[in-house]
Amino acid sequence: MIEALRKKAEELLRSNTVNVVFGYGEGSTPERTRPVFITKPEDVNKLTWNQYCVYNLTTYLKRQETRKLGKPAIIVKGCDAKTVIVLIKESQIKREDVYILGVTCQGVGEPLAVKCKACDVHTPRIYDDLVGEKVENKELSFDERYAELDEYEKMSEKGKWEFWQKQFEKCIKCYACSNICPLCFCDRCIVEKNQPQWIDPSAHARGNLSWNVTRAYHLAGRCINCEECQRVCPADIPLNLLNKKLAKEAEKNFNYRPGYNIDDELAMSTYNAKDNQDFVK
Amino acid sequence: MEKRLNKKDFDNFITSLRGKGYKTIAPKKDNNLIVLDEVQGGGEISLDHVITNNSIKEFFFPKTEKVLSYRMEKNNVQIEEPEDFAVKSVIFGSRPCDAFSLPVMDKVFNWDCSDKFWVQRREAVTIVTIACDKCDTYCFCTSVGLAPDAKGGSDVLFTKISGDDYVVETVTEKGESLIKEFEGVFSDPLSEASDRQVATVEKKFEIEKVKSWLDENFVHTVWTDFSLKCIGCGACTFVCPTCHCFDIVDECTMTKGDRVKNWDGCQFKMFTMHTSGHNPRSTQGERWRQRIMHKFKYYVEKFDSILCVGCGRCSRVCPADMNISEMLEIIATEASQPGNKE
Repeated sequence: MIEALRKKAEELLRSNTVNVVFGYGEGSTPERTRPVFITKPEDVNKLTWNQYCVYNLTTYLKRQETRKLGKPAIIVKGCDAKTVIVLIKESQIKREDVYILGVTCQGVGEPLAVKCKACDVHTPRIYDDLVGEKVENKELSFDERYAELDEYEKMSEKGKWEFWQKQFEKCIKCYACSNICPLCFCDRCIVEKNQPQWIDPSAHARGNLSWNVTRAYHLAGRCINCEECQRVCPADIPLNLLNKKLAKEAEKNFNYRPGYNIDDELAMSTYNAKDNQDFVK
Repeated sequence: MEKRLNKKDFDNFITSLRGKGYKTIAPKKDNNLIVLDEVQGGGEISLDHVITNNSIKEFFFPKTEKVLSYRMEKNNVQIEEPEDFAVKSVIFGSRPCDAFSLPVMDKVFNWDCSDKFWVQRREAVTIVTIACDKCDTYCFCTSVGLAPDAKGGSDVLFTKISGDDYVVETVTEKGESLIKEFEGVFSDPLSEASDRQVATVEKKFEIEKVKSWLDENFVHTVWTDFSLKCIGCGACTFVCPTCHCFDIVDECTMTKGDRVKNWDGCQFKMFTMHTSGHNPRSTQGERWRQRIMHKFKYYVEKFDSILCVGCGRCSRVCPADMNISEMLEIIATEASQPGNKE
């Protein structure tokens, strides 16, 4: 699989189909990989593929430094590919400006990432080329897809409030969660605006609550569950629990799953008289 | 002064400290993290880790703190300053790298003005360090002039010997008087010298070469190349025991408010953004260069100290696996190969 990836990357660079390949390279330890940006065909040996390729590389589609490298081919797992669909739908990239190099995946992380336990996209749903043997994607029921919320939803309202207060207390406001998020693409985040100051920048109870809740709300009906926010949090806050809960509500209310079909209309920015809320009518 | 203490008596030490009104802070487990935090007894203390996830700095320079409150009435402004922020405490079981960050940071917090929050807390807190008996691939204290059993910044140093015994050495007068105050807790040192269990931390680069290369290479492709994967968050600076940048904000209504000091970091795009919209460090490469230059050139020139203790936390938490010792190895190698300059 690694050889096939390298060969494909080399081909794309040699033929000038793309200027750069966003992929995975060896990391600081054998249990870690890191993003690499290959611009020369002779460097494709830096690419690797293994169970530690947890990153969602589509976040580099938003960063000015990596955009400058020219047209990218981007290596995506099934979950990451959903981001590309959302980014296209939200007019952040044009379909023809990115070469999607899909890889089939049986799960990443050690221990296995939570998202992988309920994976229904072992084979990406969008790609220009696919590396790895095609795996039939499982159809999972609504309940199966949101099973990780079962324990959380059993908590009382008071219990949930106390749980999040305790979690947010740990937040150090490093903003790794939003900087890593491929769908947090605003050039200037609301937390950086101070006239008016919508969100207290201080890492105290009020500031941390307003930041974390606002971040999650901005992803409602958009988050594709790559879990990157949670992976990178140095304070070990289970941020994806919030995202997942909001995704569940969005799906329940709008019958919409972000990133699954490029023809679907977006939940949050599409008017539909059939929506079940009165205010849209 | 040298004493001895067995692990089973750590609880006695902590309880005795608390009995005399000391706040006790030590490494303890919190889900997947090991954090320096307040402990009520020795049973809570974690010893089986390389280093705590949080650094020692937050006990002197917290992530957020009110520096004053104000109230405006007509032409009159009333200011209220916080008191009692320096609590008599013992930090027990911090690592030698963390302890060493304190004298390094003393220099900047006592520079053109004396930061009373830092200074008073430094006086109120006694540092009892435990030497590292293990390390990991991210540790590089020996490359920046320290050691897993370095004494600088500690008031007392514990070093593991056979069994669960620790040699207890006082380093400063403050440490000496602390151990004297609780003399009953400790045993006498063994008559024969015993093997100390201290980690072997591999030296990764020659720090002198780093400085001389930085002097010549403000402009170099390595800055952009290395930082391409950087996502521009502040995780590295916030977990760093020596990063000390902060921002001041007013949290206020029309007539009253709090002036608050918050951690800030040079890796954020907004950090150097001018009101005009111009940003003198407009790319991540420039921001990454700043982090390295500040630690290994500017601070050295200004205060004669390296602003890095080799704890490796920045590399452990980096969402994109940016590894600072790898950067420094690249620089030291470049320095050994003259002619590579851009």
